[in-house]
Amino acid sequence: MMHYEKQSKESLALIGLILAQSICALFFLSDVANDAYWMGWSAFGRSWHLTVEALATLALIMGIIVEARYLMQMLRRQSRIERGISIASGALHELMEEMFSDWKLTPAEQDVAGFTLKGYSIGEVADMRGSREGTIKAQLNAIYRKAGVENRGQLVSLLIEDLMRAPLIKRKTAMI
Amino acid sequence: MHTVKVWDAFVRLFHWSLVIAFTLEALVLDEDSRLHEQVGYFVLALIGARIIWGLVGTKYARFSSFKPSIPAAVEQLGDIATQRDKSHMGHSPLGALMIYNLLISIALIGITGWMMTTNMFWGSEGVEELHEGLVIWAGASIGVHIVAVIFEGRRSRVNLVKAMVTGYKTLPDQDRK
Repeated sequence: MMHYEKQSKESLALIGLILAQSICALFFLSDVANDAYWMGWSAFGRSWHLTVEALATLALIMGIIVEARYLMQMLRRQSRIERGISIASGALHELMEEMFSDWKLTPAEQDVAGFTLKGYSIGEVADMRGSREGTIKAQLNAIYRKAGVENRGQLVSLLIEDLMRAPLIKRKTAMI
Repeated sequence: MHTVKVWDAFVRLFHWSLVIAFTLEALVLDEDSRLHEQVGYFVLALIGARIIWGLVGTKYARFSSFKPSIPAAVEQLGDIATQRDKSHMGHSPLGALMIYNLLISIALIGITGWMMTTNMFWGSEGVEELHEGLVIWAGASIGVHIVAVIFEGRRSRVNLVKAMVTGYKTLPDQDRK
């Protein structure tokens, strides 16, 4: 669980950063809007200062969007770890994520696929996700289709197959 | 589907009175007018009443039913990230944080507004800047609040806007919270 705690601290720090930057962006944005209001919108052509300030604010907002996307990714990983789906922090989890993104699963499908690989039943997954069993079944079908398999057993064997191909522990070349 | 009464008459009346009063203050009324001041005092009275109701009111109106909690808010963010559809009976953890943010910032707007009328701070630029800065902050927060209510309502399949009008939340049967 050490790994989990470190991760949740990281996501808290990221949330703090996003909040702080959002406040800054709000401040600059209102400043730009205020200047533009008083100087007229043509001021963007006349005043270098205003144009640069507006562009800098835009860059800041884009940075915030990137951070927010990264945060969502982190939270997804974290909530899987929380459910004990990722085994420690090992190669298995990375492999799962790689497979999911290869198959272009949506975040919801990734969540369902994670639970399914772990061995939870459709009813249990529906319970944990707060959705109906029918929804989970539809999502499972989409997962099987995207992965090119017929059922849960084949899905699991895909993972194991890949796992056996990839070296779990990188052999150290220079051992002293 | 089942329906639960969550917002009592006072909470709803408070919410929509605040909506009207804030809109009038920020967008309609002349900021130097007598009416701007009077509506400001009305807002302060509203928030004062809400705080008392938060201590003695009905179940979901009480602060104790929506304590600010960062771990719970992060968990809700996790539900959003994984597209899980869990719904909440009263305020959701993120919603609760927004309510405290709005209550505090709008109260501060009222207090700084009142300070500008006192002899001590009359004509003080610092107080005026603070008053205006807080209005921008509250305005942006309200924008986030509205977008979040629509987004969360869709995600958890509960019409949250309707709930604030009628007082009743219609929850999908999956949730037993």
